Amino acid sequence: MFSNNAPRILIVGIGNVLMGDEGVGVYVIRHLEKQTLPSDVACLDGGTGGFHLLEPMQQPERLVMVDATADGAPAGTVQRLQPRYSTDYPPTLCAHDIGLKDLLDSMYLLGTPPNVTLFAVSIDVPDGVGTELSPAVAGVVPEVAKQVMAEVKVGSRS
Amino acid sequence: MARIVVDPITRIEGHLRIEAVVENGRISEAYSSGTMVRGFEKILKGRDPRDAWAFTERVCGVCTTVHALASVRAVEDGLGISVPRNAELIRNLMFCAQYCQDHAVHFYHLHALDWVDVVSALSADPKETSRIAQSISRWPKTSPAYFSDIQKRVKTFVESGQLGIFANGYWGHSAYRLPAEVNLLAVAHYLEALEWQKEIVKIHTIFGGKNPHPNYLVGGVPCSINLEEMNAINSERLNHVGQLIKDAIEFIEQVYIPDLMAIAGFYKDWGAIGGGLENYLSYGDLPTLGYNQPDSFKFPRGAILGRNLNEVHEVNGKDTEEIKEYITRSYYKYSGGDAQGLHPWSGETEFNYTGPKPPYDLLDVDNKYSWLKTPRWRDNPMEVGPLARLLVAYGKGHEEVQEVVNDALKRLNVPVTALFSTLGRTAARGLETQLVVQWMKGFYDDLVNNIKNGDTRTFNDANWEPSTWPSTCDGVGLTEAPRGALAHWIRIKDKVIDNYQLVVPSTWNASPKDHNGKRSAYEESLVGTPVANEDQPLEILRTVHSFDPCLACAVHLYDPDGKHIQQITVT
Repeated sequence: MFSNNAPRILIVGIGNVLMGDEGVGVYVIRHLEKQTLPSDVACLDGGTGGFHLLEPMQQPERLVMVDATADGAPAGTVQRLQPRYSTDYPPTLCAHDIGLKDLLDSMYLLGTPPNVTLFAVSIDVPDGVGTELSPAVAGVVPEVAKQVMAEVKVGSRS
Repeated sequence: MARIVVDPITRIEGHLRIEAVVENGRISEAYSSGTMVRGFEKILKGRDPRDAWAFTERVCGVCTTVHALASVRAVEDGLGISVPRNAELIRNLMFCAQYCQDHAVHFYHLHALDWVDVVSALSADPKETSRIAQSISRWPKTSPAYFSDIQKRVKTFVESGQLGIFANGYWGHSAYRLPAEVNLLAVAHYLEALEWQKEIVKIHTIFGGKNPHPNYLVGGVPCSINLEEMNAINSERLNHVGQLIKDAIEFIEQVYIPDLMAIAGFYKDWGAIGGGLENYLSYGDLPTLGYNQPDSFKFPRGAILGRNLNEVHEVNGKDTEEIKEYITRSYYKYSGGDAQGLHPWSGETEFNYTGPKPPYDLLDVDNKYSWLKTPRWRDNPMEVGPLARLLVAYGKGHEEVQEVVNDALKRLNVPVTALFSTLGRTAARGLETQLVVQWMKGFYDDLVNNIKNGDTRTFNDANWEPSTWPSTCDGVGLTEAPRGALAHWIRIKDKVIDNYQLVVPSTWNASPKDHNGKRSAYEESLVGTPVANEDQPLEILRTVHSFDPCLACAVHLYDPDGKHIQQITVT
């Protein structure tokens, strides 16, 4: 199995739940936390965590990330991506202060390049703060969670 | 006259825009603008005040703990709750851990590359770097082979251009002045600091249950102490904290401070640049006898006007004549007219965007030009942050502070006026870290002693039940975030939040001009700054970064111009 209680696969939801749809990654984690995960898989509400996420993200063999993107596609569009470098990532709404990209760059610098599958959920640019998801984005949360589960089950050994 | 625009100015993803007018190689006027809508306060209305910390903590991913602390203090202040001694100590430990992590990350990852030329480091002689490293510190990782290895690793990334961190610098700029060997030393420690910061924040996980966004609690801390119990703060966890503090002391004393002093030695002229405002404000923090006893704080409370260190003024967050927010140049409207200033207890958050439609070339600086309000203390613009904290402490005769400050001035052989500068601000951050890491050890020892003496209380349940609350009450939670004075004001009515206002450090420092046309800290500090190359305004970055801008907590949304669609790899 794995040592240090670190999971082999970590699902990380990124986002700011105070910014409406921008927090969709965290909502997917909250949805997944109610389900039974394979024993070598764990969930992390990454919030707006910045460099605080470096260690939890360095430990697993694989990362499955969920994040919002403002890529112009209709809200609720879900893409599965396998980005390599930070420059491969779609544009975020960047409420994450030390950006996710800086974090990923750091992982390369430290010799621990991440193996990432990213589920990017397209959102409209929010017009204000809010603690609720829009109907279009709320509606895809269960579907994203399902896709994430399918992804980790393929990779899981348990 | 040409205006230089720097947007975004934070090296990391940011939401701060600076426009500066340059005449004859010097900045003659500057405008600082928060480009994201703020209005976070609206979310809190109508909620249970005991839950407010969990929302406010999400405002910012850099200083996750400080908003939670300000929030629980505001509620405790309003409801007349005092926390047990252990809770105070644990909060202080989390506070100190946050400072150590945040200041080191700022120095190495957000600010160092303004002074350190990464590309130059690639041509350094690792043997000479090793010699320099050994001459300034007894830190063990100093062999030529070690630096040579770092050099190779970084070279690969710089050449590939794949890492944003190294792709976006003004490498080769004439204002970079470190020898290649010192640049290499700093780059090596950039990487070591990344590894080290992962450790120190474990203190948050241990006491706060999780990280990021650890748990807080109105009335205490949400962890129980039981030396024998698996799931409590037990002996093993306490020992772990003790070890993390010991390691932190070594890193700060043997890496951060020697690097800071070595780099500062090459940039002494920046001790006369970027001073800006002459007024400094600190709410103070790290209570040792309770939050209501500011005289017991490690960081004292007070205000300095006109750089007169001989007189430190009293500061009272509850006096409605002291702190007021103006919106003359901010995209808001007040029900009583935009000319007035409002104390946060009667603060209003009504948007009124009157700026140009994005994307735009220049801000309309003759009208409103920022999403940040303009806070004032007794109508004075104030600088907040490490320099303000140290100056207030210095002025109040704080011996430990006077000692580290005087020692640093002596070692750098610079006059006391060098404190009022970009260099002074950056040095102050390191010097206070040196103190904070030692104080953290003291709080830890006190906590261990308390527990040994049988005191395991971490929560005071007095006034927890809303049935005990008055029909209305007001509270203020003052704290010092790593980047400066932070406060939350709450008004509780009929058991729920009636009004909630945050005044964050970057609002003090990065706000636009006020109703009297007076500049705030960033703007004032930029005036007079030399700019060698208008296409590469490295000097602007140096001064603004010296404040440690953290705009995401000052402003919450941004308005993308849609031009930045990057290539997406779909598989």
